[in-house]
Amino acid sequence: MSTCARLTAEQGMAQLASIVGQEQTKLRGETIVAAPADAKQIAEVLRFAGANGLGVTPAGSGSKLGWGNPVAADIELNLQRLHALHEHAWQDMTCTVEAGCCWVSIQSELKRHGQMVALDPLWPDKATVGGIVACNDSGALRLKFGGLRDLIIGMTIVLADGTIAKTGGKVVKNVAGYDLHKLMTGSFGTLGVIAEVNFRLHPVEEHVRTWTVTAPGVKLADGAFFAAPLAALMDSQMTPSRVQIRASKAGCVLDLSIAAVPACLDEFEARIQDIFRPAEVSASEAGVWRARQRLFDKSEATVLKVSLPTSEICSVISELRQFAVREGLDVEAVAQATGLMTVAVQAAPDAVVRFVERLRARVAAFGGSAVALQVPDAVRATVDVWGPGSGALPLMRAIKRRFDPGRTLNPGRFLGNI
Amino acid sequence: MLTASHIADLRASVGPDGLITGLSQLQTYECDGLTNFRVLPEAVVLPRTTREVQAVVRFCARNRIPFVSRGAGTGLSGGALPATGGIVISLARMNRILEVDLANHRVVVEPGVINAHVTERVAPHGYFYAPDPSSQSVCTIGGNVAENSGGAHCLKYGFTVTHVMALEVVLPSGELVQLGSPTLDAPGYDLPGVFVGSEGTLGVATRITLRIVKRPEVVQTLLAAFDSIQAAGQTVSDIIAARMLPAALEIMDALAIQAAEASVHAHYPVCNGLLLVELDGPRSEVEALMREVQALCRNNGAREIRVAQTEQERALFWKGRKAAFAAVGRISPNYIVQDGVIPRTALPCLLTEIDGMASAAGLRVANVFHAGDGNLHPLVLYDASIHGQEEAALDLSYRILRLCVDKGGSITGEHGVGKEKQEALGYMYSEPDLETMQLVRCAFDPENIANPDKIFPRPRLCAEKPGRYEPHPLETAGIAEIF
Repeated sequence: MSTCARLTAEQGMAQLASIVGQEQTKLRGETIVAAPADAKQIAEVLRFAGANGLGVTPAGSGSKLGWGNPVAADIELNLQRLHALHEHAWQDMTCTVEAGCCWVSIQSELKRHGQMVALDPLWPDKATVGGIVACNDSGALRLKFGGLRDLIIGMTIVLADGTIAKTGGKVVKNVAGYDLHKLMTGSFGTLGVIAEVNFRLHPVEEHVRTWTVTAPGVKLADGAFFAAPLAALMDSQMTPSRVQIRASKAGCVLDLSIAAVPACLDEFEARIQDIFRPAEVSASEAGVWRARQRLFDKSEATVLKVSLPTSEICSVISELRQFAVREGLDVEAVAQATGLMTVAVQAAPDAVVRFVERLRARVAAFGGSAVALQVPDAVRATVDVWGPGSGALPLMRAIKRRFDPGRTLNPGRFLGNI
Repeated sequence: MLTASHIADLRASVGPDGLITGLSQLQTYECDGLTNFRVLPEAVVLPRTTREVQAVVRFCARNRIPFVSRGAGTGLSGGALPATGGIVISLARMNRILEVDLANHRVVVEPGVINAHVTERVAPHGYFYAPDPSSQSVCTIGGNVAENSGGAHCLKYGFTVTHVMALEVVLPSGELVQLGSPTLDAPGYDLPGVFVGSEGTLGVATRITLRIVKRPEVVQTLLAAFDSIQAAGQTVSDIIAARMLPAALEIMDALAIQAAEASVHAHYPVCNGLLLVELDGPRSEVEALMREVQALCRNNGAREIRVAQTEQERALFWKGRKAAFAAVGRISPNYIVQDGVIPRTALPCLLTEIDGMASAAGLRVANVFHAGDGNLHPLVLYDASIHGQEEAALDLSYRILRLCVDKGGSITGEHGVGKEKQEALGYMYSEPDLETMQLVRCAFDPENIANPDKIFPRPRLCAEKPGRYEPHPLETAGIAEIF
């Protein structure tokens, strides 16, 4: 109970236990962890928190709890008891899942009918639906299937005042009322607690081929080597599922995968070889699509989500590599053809700050951004996690005030300390 | 009532040729595509620039005068119906395509640009703008943004919101903001996501960054005639179950076919259920999948299958479908277009129930169906000259919408709520759901001047203290009332 003078931790524990049950309430340091069973209990916890001026952080597996500005919450709302797959209407290609569902378990359930939520988030074996949606995570599959805003068709949310609201529905096409689920996606739990999500589904890609493209002879090319062929690929009439460039100080390789009926895959392979000639196109090793996740493995690395136009990916990678070599930084990046790039940099705190500033200045020129997701303790005090706010920040603050006037939910975590 | 000083202010904002106050000209703006609701605006302004839009909206904010922005006025739910005592901001003159960035698949346009013109501009380079509402040759991108327009191809390519990356918006205060960015995932809330489809209630978009799509190598279109609409529906389910994602899947029933034939002579086969399937992509893949689709059609008893052999034939297949709404005018003096959505599997059951309801009401209903995504357009036919039939038709159309909700669907898939379906929205969503949506509206437009009295079944004042509904101080004082 760090911020509340009115309640002792024991009183808070007792009150929360009366809502979620004794065995679902525990104290961790100064934070009470409460695990509600359903949306109604979430609502009761939030009403209790609001009435007592307590801050609440919704949490799933905790895989991304470090993202955004740090929050010293009084209550951690652990949503892992909300783990039901409520409905899989496979003939309608939709499903309804609770926020605490682990990503990989839903996907394996959906796969029984040959379907999937077409998204490849980080840490699928532990990350939960609520956390993935709140952080708007997405992987390389976004190129073909879009991001969460394109895959979510409805949601049940609990507001700070305990209101339980539904938004959207269970049909893919629906323009009735405002799409609040789009507002919730990527809001880092600052507007409401996501209790349940309705997804549109896609067929699992059956026949997929994945290739890795390397520069002839030297194996590891500079980013610039891929600029022309990547542009040609994006301008082609093929529709790859995923395309990424893996870059390190040593050089770059490009991976891509295409799904199609088997009869077409050989033809596509020939076209791809044409596009990338004289580079070598060969079958990829297993695990290439986990490259983005591996960037987070080094706990001492600052990891950024960078957004830039697709046409600038190769030149920015080139510049980053040159900068890293010159400054003696350890930099690795995985850039997806959507224009989202994950960059890991490991260096002394002041060097990291210089790197981030330089990167931000570079991408700002074309409307891009760089947000620090993983920030080691040594760097946190000096790096601005979100970067400069947009002109829409006052509007975002107005929305926060309407949804959560008491600043109960994740206070300060978001852009502009929302 | 606008005063002479108001008129002078507006004239100063948009210039003398940008202001309409004459009765006969104002009448052009008294309704949109939903013609049974009409309100004469006090004035219409036609700004040419963002700065002029700002000046007009600031004027409205200063004087608490409601405004409704308008594109081509093709909307079918009364979204552009003027507010009583308000002005209309027509964006028709802001019709420039400002930027084409092929390398990043982006186009920046003003709101008055006509949908089809975006595709025309980028087609020589092999690209197209995917959302294709039937009115695409006249409707504007601004209107598409307001309604989150779909079209026949959104099954594969998504809706307007899928293709809007960023917006420049004049807020109801007159302030100019950028929502989103030309690159993905701008830090902060997804404001473009909530703005698109907000039916003009959150502000006026003055500049829109759109995503364009590479045109597929080939497009093949098939027509299949079935003895029952259920057999056509089963074929759709089988196509989806075979893991295909066609570019379009459309069904028309006998009455809709009859109307289309009478209107555009599409040479459709006479049948009870006509299925139109469009596949696109790499040639070898499309050819393989089209063979599979034909087999599925035959398995479900298709009497006739035609694959368009020329672009001209393909265009004719579509002409009948796209003309279906207007064509119904050939077989009925009046009709109401509805826009329900259901889970696709509920189709056979829903159509049987609609048949029963129509018979009981003594009316005919023609059905046109975006079958792939469950979006049904029942056309309720009636004769307004017969006493009581219009009321009966309206009642039937609303009961169909409620039936869609009962089946787990929605009251609108692409036409919007507007003025027409406000009550139905109250059937679909509970009071807490609607109150939560109102929080967004109040954040954008605390004075409730942007297209007020639309979407929501009950107007709401944005009370000083945000949160759940509490009486506004003006209500308590008896100065204003909620009704």
